[in-house]
Amino acid sequence: MTAPEVIVGIDLGTTFSLVAYADESGPHIIRDENGDGRLPSVVSIAPAAANTDPQVTVGWPARQHAVENPLTTVYSVKRLIGKGFQDIRGDLPFLTYPVKPGPRDTLLIEIGGRAYSPEEISALILRALRRRAEKHLGRPVNKAVITVPAYFDDSQRQATRDAGVAAGLEVVRIINEPTAAALAYGIGLRRPAGPASSGQLRCPPPSAPQGLPIASCQSAVSPASAASQGQTIAVYDLGGGTFDISILRLQDGVFQVLSTAGDTHLGGDDFDHAVINLVVQEVKEQFGVSITSPATRQALRSLAEAVKIRLSDQEQAALELDLGRGRTYRRTITRAELENMMRPLVERTIELCRAALRDARLNPTDIDQVVLVGGSTRVPLVRRRVGEFFQRSPYTALNPDEVVALGAALQAAILTGQQPDMLLLDVTPLSLGIETMGGAMAKLILRNTTIPCRATEMFTTFVDGQTAIKLNVLQGERELAADCRSLGEFVLDGIPPMPAGLPKVQVEFLIDANGILNVSATEQRSGKRAGIQIIPNHGLTRQEVERITRESIEFARRDIQEHRRIDLCNQVEFDTHKAEQMLAKVGHLLEAAERERIRRDIAALRELARTTDNLDELHGALTAFGHSTIRLAELGIRQALVSGNQDQPT
Amino acid sequence: MNVAGNHSSSAAPAKCANCDAPRRSPLFCDHCRTLYPAEGINHFELLGLPVRFDVDTDALQREYLRLSRAVHPDLQGLSGDSALSLRLSAQLNEAHRVLADPVLRAEYLLELLGGRSGADDKNVPQGFLAVTFELREQIAEAKAKQNQAKLESCRRQVQAGHDAALTQVHDLARRLPGDARLRDQLRATLNCIKYYQKLLDELG
Repeated sequence: MTAPEVIVGIDLGTTFSLVAYADESGPHIIRDENGDGRLPSVVSIAPAAANTDPQVTVGWPARQHAVENPLTTVYSVKRLIGKGFQDIRGDLPFLTYPVKPGPRDTLLIEIGGRAYSPEEISALILRALRRRAEKHLGRPVNKAVITVPAYFDDSQRQATRDAGVAAGLEVVRIINEPTAAALAYGIGLRRPAGPASSGQLRCPPPSAPQGLPIASCQSAVSPASAASQGQTIAVYDLGGGTFDISILRLQDGVFQVLSTAGDTHLGGDDFDHAVINLVVQEVKEQFGVSITSPATRQALRSLAEAVKIRLSDQEQAALELDLGRGRTYRRTITRAELENMMRPLVERTIELCRAALRDARLNPTDIDQVVLVGGSTRVPLVRRRVGEFFQRSPYTALNPDEVVALGAALQAAILTGQQPDMLLLDVTPLSLGIETMGGAMAKLILRNTTIPCRATEMFTTFVDGQTAIKLNVLQGERELAADCRSLGEFVLDGIPPMPAGLPKVQVEFLIDANGILNVSATEQRSGKRAGIQIIPNHGLTRQEVERITRESIEFARRDIQEHRRIDLCNQVEFDTHKAEQMLAKVGHLLEAAERERIRRDIAALRELARTTDNLDELHGALTAFGHSTIRLAELGIRQALVSGNQDQPT
Repeated sequence: MNVAGNHSSSAAPAKCANCDAPRRSPLFCDHCRTLYPAEGINHFELLGLPVRFDVDTDALQREYLRLSRAVHPDLQGLSGDSALSLRLSAQLNEAHRVLADPVLRAEYLLELLGGRSGADDKNVPQGFLAVTFELREQIAEAKAKQNQAKLESCRRQVQAGHDAALTQVHDLARRLPGDARLRDQLRATLNCIKYYQKLLDELG
């Protein structure tokens, strides 16, 4: 019997990314050798020498050397994914790597003369996570649940899925980050403690409390009746680049999202930007210089982040920036100052909380529990304001950096049937519609509708013999099409030629459980299925996704080669070292000629490992070395046994 | 057409074609989990409720969650019939959305029982348009002057009008199917609610 296929859960974050999996004992974060689950979402691409591939570094090393390599280190790429150039103009002053407009209002990041899409950069992060998971689990990982901010639109979701495909992963589900967090927090809430049936998850996750302490907060209600009555929770998720608020109802093991609101361009990065703006302005005033060099800007970025983090525990922090030529900018910044700068951003999140409650038709006091997710919720001002707004102290028992990945792993367990009594019912964050004749937005599916959902609309022709109809599909809440986001142009073609107004083309808009739109069309009179061509805005075409995937698979092949080389060299190192030890211990039991031969073999094997590119040859040589030293090895073992026996007390 | 009080659904099939077990739901077989297309089944039948305005909201919610478990794509296993389960889930979500909201429910029931749709009949009671026009002007003026107190008083007025219309919707919808006059009256009241909702949206 083969082991069930593993599906990992991935939190692809603005600042950090994590990978987790679930087994019988619950969901687990897969950590690096230092015990850290976080992989910095930073990619460094060293320009390639002639005819070689660029050297790609992902994670901590890339992050640590960001200041030295400001032009070739890509961070916060999540703020760019699925976006157009106009959307990110505000970010440009804070990006040290070059971003330029690509085709169809996409973005390209230019490094070493090659242009990378945000999807490609994200794929590099995903591949690093995939490798981490494969190493830990000891088997191939080909499927993943990936989380996205709840407020991600269709383009951003598609782009995230494309990044997964480019990383060689089948993205079996895209789920919303706050919902994933709720899943991680809520697990164990419903089922009273007791023997779990075999093969099913028994949660809570290790080192986590027994789900939300809702039952204990309302001790008058027994856990069982609390579960059947349902609980209402608010998940406030402030990450590095995005903000989401989701209102959920937990009942009978179903996590039903009632409403969500957010801003995919509001997060900890923006807190940093406030500090950066202050410094840039003061440097200009005091020294009359603008900070333009990418290295100084990158240094300032790291500095701003460090100051923000320090001011979460301390009342003040010292700031020092070397401006070159003996000039140094120095100042002390207090928490109160920082809070003043952050306040408008935090107030915007509170405004969005209000909007989400309104859509759920609830008041702040209807919320039974508030959960904080995302690294930026460590900021004291955020905790204070959220507590004030909901009139209760927020709940933070799980690590806010890890809770989303844990939830993603749980959703993977639901999909594989390991967790059959739980279900997520999520919503679409934005209204979906089409542009009408007058340039208005006609809504077909309203925001906060439970997904999957569908709407149908009938279209006809205006000209005799017209065989195609063009539709502009929109997402957004505004009245005018121009103020909404165009998902792209959908061309319905293959309509049989008929007099104008006679064809009846029924178009079905279906938003699936990933929150991604699928469109199909049928001409009702002929029963013919109309063809649909989608020209996406802000995204990759199918061909581009295929190309990136192909290239990254080639990349992966080279990666595998490289891994094999490292493994073989390590083995050579180990075997030759061991042989030398044996020679020292039991070499005198061998003939002098054999001793000499082994010494020569050791040197030759080491030389080969250092120089050859032919890994099969090296593998062969290693095997041969094993055979030629077999007598030595046997002597060594016998010696060890004898001395072992001598050591035994009689 | 089934009417209120007579909900013994003709759409509920007797046996599962796959395992021959008796079926309780038109959507799926409780026994072998086979899914069935549910085209042409109305929202009430889908959720096992009598075709009438008054709905036991707890029962609605519980049945919705129970059926979601049976048809949702997440719980079909990775090899299940994803297209059918997607469609059924969408249908179920739509049924729940409509039945959980009294205005949408009244509108749906009205059309189910032969009343006209909002697209076919845009009538509102006499004098109503003048009242909303006046309100709209006041709101625009208060917004221009950033007069928060005035905005709040407008909001209260709109809300009061909305709530009164909603009470009337309940009253009329309970008497469905009724005669043509009652159905037209309900239609007009529902149309009023749309105006109020639009105003409330504008007020934020």
